[in-house]
Amino acid sequence: MRAAAPLIMPVLAAVLALSVGPPANAQQATPPPPEIAENLQLCASCHGADGKPVVEKVPIISGQHMFYLFTQLKDYRAGRRANDIMAPIAAELSDDQMKALATYFAAQPWPNYSEVASPEDTERAHSLAVEGQCTQCHLGGMLGDSRNPRLNHQKVDYLAQTMSDFRNGVRKNAAAMAAIVKGFSDADIAAMSRYLAGL
Amino acid sequence: MTYWSKKRVGGAAACVFAMLAGTISAASAQERQKTQTLYGSMRSVTQDMMNRAGSDGNNFLHTNANYDQTRYFPNRQINTDNVKYLRPAWIFQTEVVETMETTPIVVNGIMYVTTAFNHVYALDARTGEQIWHYKHPMGPITTFCCGPNNRGVAAYGDKVYMGTLDGQLVALNAQNGSVVWKKDVADAALGYSETMAPTAVDGKILIGTNGGEYGIRGFVKAFDAQTGDLLWTFNTIPEKTAGVWATHDATGRDLHRDIEAEKAAFEKMGDPYKTLGGGVWQNPAVDLETRRIYFVVGNPSPDLDGSLRPGDNLYTDSLVSVNLDTGEYACHFQYIPHDLWDLDAVSPPIITQVKTDTGETVKGILHAGKTGHIYVNKADDCSLVRFSEAMVPQENMWVLPTAQGARMLPGANGGVEWSPMAIDADHSLAYAINLHQPMTYQVESTPYPEGKLWLGGAFKVIPTEEQWGNVTAVDYNTGKIRWQVKTQEPMIGGVLATAGGLVFTGEGNGLFKAYDAETGAVLWSFRAGAGVNAPPASYTIDGEQYIVVAAGGNTQLDYKRGNDIIAFKLAR
Repeated sequence: MRAAAPLIMPVLAAVLALSVGPPANAQQATPPPPEIAENLQLCASCHGADGKPVVEKVPIISGQHMFYLFTQLKDYRAGRRANDIMAPIAAELSDDQMKALATYFAAQPWPNYSEVASPEDTERAHSLAVEGQCTQCHLGGMLGDSRNPRLNHQKVDYLAQTMSDFRNGVRKNAAAMAAIVKGFSDADIAAMSRYLAGL
Repeated sequence: MTYWSKKRVGGAAACVFAMLAGTISAASAQERQKTQTLYGSMRSVTQDMMNRAGSDGNNFLHTNANYDQTRYFPNRQINTDNVKYLRPAWIFQTEVVETMETTPIVVNGIMYVTTAFNHVYALDARTGEQIWHYKHPMGPITTFCCGPNNRGVAAYGDKVYMGTLDGQLVALNAQNGSVVWKKDVADAALGYSETMAPTAVDGKILIGTNGGEYGIRGFVKAFDAQTGDLLWTFNTIPEKTAGVWATHDATGRDLHRDIEAEKAAFEKMGDPYKTLGGGVWQNPAVDLETRRIYFVVGNPSPDLDGSLRPGDNLYTDSLVSVNLDTGEYACHFQYIPHDLWDLDAVSPPIITQVKTDTGETVKGILHAGKTGHIYVNKADDCSLVRFSEAMVPQENMWVLPTAQGARMLPGANGGVEWSPMAIDADHSLAYAINLHQPMTYQVESTPYPEGKLWLGGAFKVIPTEEQWGNVTAVDYNTGKIRWQVKTQEPMIGGVLATAGGLVFTGEGNGLFKAYDAETGAVLWSFRAGAGVNAPPASYTIDGEQYIVVAAGGNTQLDYKRGNDIIAFKLAR
């Protein structure tokens, strides 16, 4: 995520200047609580008004699990997860706002997004998944639950960046993940990312 | 209460409607009449029925068959001669296609089963027809290290009880599935959660907690069965956890501890008891004669990193006995002091008479360890009588975990995982299912992460090495292996033994098999189509004995998921 910062900042500024409305999904589904209506505009500028991220290496959060999202926001605010964009945003949020945002995004549908994994990618990813016992936490289909994020059809560039960050000690708020991906090569990470994004 | 015809409650819409109406469908009086067994009109579960479960060939009232937890069913109608005629009587499909570890409980012809994510179904045990369905409204915070499991209900009085992944204990009306009360057992955000079936005894509901991978402080709690009020709590982690600074495990092998360094660290950082883990997530055995319960305590937190928890880490990896009425400590025995490998104590203990090495017969406690040994302890003071031959390969024990990862056998799943054993006391045989799953143990120290997963490193399966399992019969009066049958895949689920001379257990590849209890010969098998990784049960209705098991696969070992409850009986 850090590496993406130079790109994100101008995009963020440009998108904010256009003053986009709340996400399309939010308008169609239950309206968001008023205390987070303004926050949602900011979220949409990177994570996308329709749930599809519009900035490179930004994750899909529509349909992600509530407690995972809430925990990540708390970690950004506490400095446990470093990110030049998210840390200052989270610093301004109260616990109640974080809960409301996490609850809101968890209730949105996961956007239609997929990548194509080759048979070689799949074979390599299966082997890595056995070694790391990935489904113990992320469950069958890598759909996650509560405190473990959904990885199935997550953005391929975000997945690759995240695994690299865990491996390289940049992301430090999930020690168990760091230990698992420690031995991954760049090729392993690329294959696993395509596999997960195309599940 | 709204009445719903069973036939109408098949589709999801009907089910949702029934739940919205605040009740679930109930069987008619006429239909219920058909499902009664020898106990006639006794619809609720009395304490007397629970006490006599060991000789009750009709019901299956306890997760592990009876308070002694022998998983021995006393009906011999299905036996070594006729088991080849065993056929499916019915198959019920739940709406949750995910890992199944439930033991069906059968009360007077009504079966209660649970699924992943805390659904409960009441079924007609003769036909598999649904009577009611309860879906727990899950809170946003759930915790599970190894799949969204549930291992079943406790049935007691006119209620059934279930622990939930969001850390609650729920009491349901056994007649219609409506909620009678709910209680928070512990704070889900800190990693506490429930997967075990509760144990019901003398007006109490006993339940422990998961969370050994999250830095909890483990416990067993007793709640009032009627009101849900908390009666007592036993902390499995006392405030003084250093112990005797043991240098060897229960089998006499060197643990390679640097005791002086540990003592210095203990002096500096204090007792680590507040985040030391020690979950209890399998049923206790209950000895009503002495008013004591026996349970095993899981691993210390963080699993692989001992630097943050100097000392023996009492009572992790231990057999513990406490008073049933007060929760007061009675005795303990630690199998592995200062465990660094997650080879903890999980398979539920069994009470049975055992012979000591001097030939004396005493009340004993059996426990199958992840180490691959069956341990035999005395019930009165918890002391060790013997340990069995290893049921799986052991190599490089106890090598210390390293930053790169050190290979040691068994891997962290065992030996024997949580899978309950069964015994046949007539032959003094204990039946255990084992894993052979080579792993490396890797340590990386990180501070307590406030309720997040906290392993202190990683267990990694070695993908190039062969994995397999076995079914093993051990003479617990000698510690010798009587017979052993290798299986294609590592075994997880559980065992049932019957008076028909049979041992039933399932496999990850979907095979469910009956073995000759004396020889290990495979006498019957059935391919379920999904992993059979749940403990089997048995019951009898109108003189016909059934064997029942869940086939839902397993998250922990990633066996093919399914959603079937399959009941078998002899072909006419």
